[in-house]
Amino acid sequence: MPPASVAIAEGVIGVLKNVSRRPIEPTLASDLVADLGFDSLQVLEVVAELEDRFDISIPLDDVPATRTVAQVVDQVARLVGERSNG
Amino acid sequence: MADPRTMPDALAEAARADAGYTFLSGNVERYRSYAEVRQASCRVARSLVEAGLRRGDLVAVVLADAEPFLTTLFGVSMAGLVPASLYAPAGTSELSRYLELTARILRASGAKAVVTTAALVPAFEGVSGQCPALALTTAYDSLDAPAIEPDARPALDDIALVQYTSGSTSAPKGVALSHRNLSANVDAINGPAGLMTTSADLAVSWLPLNHDMGLVGMALGPLYSARPGVLMPAAAFVKRPVEWLRALTRFRGTVSFAPNFAYDLCVRRVKDRDLDGLDLSSWRVAGCGAEPIHPDTLAAFAETFARVGFRATSFLPSYGLAEHVLAATFPPRNRGPRLEQISLRSMTDERRASPAREDRSVTIVSCGCALPDHQVRIADDAGDPLPDRSVGEILLAGPSVMAGYYREPELTAQTIRGGWLHTGDLGYLSDGELFVCGRVKDLIIVNGRKYHPQDLEWAVDDLAGVRRTGVVAFGVADAGRADRVVVVAESSGTAAPDAMIEAIRKRVGDLFGLYVDDVAIVPGGTVGRTTSGKVQRAAVKAMYERGELAKPYGVSKGATPPTTAEHDVPHSR
Repeated sequence: MPPASVAIAEGVIGVLKNVSRRPIEPTLASDLVADLGFDSLQVLEVVAELEDRFDISIPLDDVPATRTVAQVVDQVARLVGERSNG
Repeated sequence: MADPRTMPDALAEAARADAGYTFLSGNVERYRSYAEVRQASCRVARSLVEAGLRRGDLVAVVLADAEPFLTTLFGVSMAGLVPASLYAPAGTSELSRYLELTARILRASGAKAVVTTAALVPAFEGVSGQCPALALTTAYDSLDAPAIEPDARPALDDIALVQYTSGSTSAPKGVALSHRNLSANVDAINGPAGLMTTSADLAVSWLPLNHDMGLVGMALGPLYSARPGVLMPAAAFVKRPVEWLRALTRFRGTVSFAPNFAYDLCVRRVKDRDLDGLDLSSWRVAGCGAEPIHPDTLAAFAETFARVGFRATSFLPSYGLAEHVLAATFPPRNRGPRLEQISLRSMTDERRASPAREDRSVTIVSCGCALPDHQVRIADDAGDPLPDRSVGEILLAGPSVMAGYYREPELTAQTIRGGWLHTGDLGYLSDGELFVCGRVKDLIIVNGRKYHPQDLEWAVDDLAGVRRTGVVAFGVADAGRADRVVVVAESSGTAAPDAMIEAIRKRVGDLFGLYVDDVAIVPGGTVGRTTSGKVQRAAVKAMYERGELAKPYGVSKGATPPTTAEHDVPHSR
């Protein structure tokens, strides 16, 4: 994983830990709902926190298809990339 | 009070006023006057008539966005047809299971048509074979016939709306309301014993329109009084709760309702720096209902937002349910929540609400008095009225009691007896004011939504390793918060318990957006059945609460042993 993605992964995991009400240890393979216990409210809270942290805008249409931490990291990396290139 | 009128008549009246809906979505803001909404609804009505639908036919409306949803709802009604609001899918990840659930509703209701988004039309066409009555599946965008007013007009006692809520799929249960029902309730809400709506009022809402409080309270309420309404998507609020308060600030909103959890989300998630731009001084009615109301939440909200002009006297804790259109009781305006501290011992042992002295207690909020021309009473198990301060089932009577469950005469007869609607909720009366303290029925309530255990059970019973006849779901009251959701599943021995736990959580999360707090995988034979074949949910729940379900397969990790919390509200059984 390139260094930029490592930083993003750390940032994403930090957000997940902050939003969760339970003590969790997310890995890239963790499923947000089945493994980490996020309900639909918390998933959207994660979205808002990620937007603030990375200065991006995450389309709500993409949210239901995003299941694992790795998918979240990929999406954030793509949006951060678009922001810096665009 | 205004004379009873049909939904199309209310729309026609509103179309003569200088008012309308403002639809917010992201940065986009669209204003549609009621005259424009009516014009668009005429197109829908004409299109459906031209497609061959006949007076009284049921039309399922599966649209998540507010503007198409409302336009279709009114158009269906103008054509003399009956709109049924169905839950739209949250995403595409579990679409086939969603369709399976929804096809059951379409089949049981005998729906003649489905109006949905262009993207979902092929999916619904795919299940039309299972629904013999279904003759038309169409995209909202293609309902573009000329806006000629249809000849058909509904009568006051025709069904105006059938609401299928999120949890009503295993045994489809559509709440059927007549135009007279709707008018009676909405006018009482707006009237002198309700919100005292005036020409200065403006409603702001993020509530989903397939929710009674969202549709009747926040969309039809403004329409029937020809006042403006600002509607935003629920997801926008949940993502950033401050957006609700910003909309109230920007539009100088005066009326807004939400379940308890929404006030809690604002306290927890609105940041100090966000307070700067807010001004909530125009907000004169902050309604709270649809789920148990926690005095601590209201107090914390009032404290946090007092410095941006919020007044605790704006709070209007109220009681109601979809089977009663929406509202049943309202407290007097501008008083602030009235609280009573009740002894838990007296409630559980004597079923009486005695003021607490030294023993364990629970604080309960008054939901006020019955609306004019409506009645509330507390009854024992036989249905006989109980005196003040006795705890029993809440019964309601009056013009807002639903016409019935759509095409379910037996269920209707069980629920409405001698003109009294049996709500399944527990409460007591004190000086004519209603205090709600629990529920008789097995509903699970999380974040303002009611889930039927049967739906959760049905949703997971085909997963690998799960014995089809051995699944039980229930909610466990969690001190002052949402219910903890528990699923108990018998294992057929063909899948690893860990995999089953994960699959159950994933399925329920995908279908209902709900997290299952605890999954217990148990050996076959644990879940008992009655002689009529019903699962003994209460018995399994009692075993769970006594900690008797952990062997031999164990309970999901992260689970905490259930405790009897200090503030738990006692259940009747």
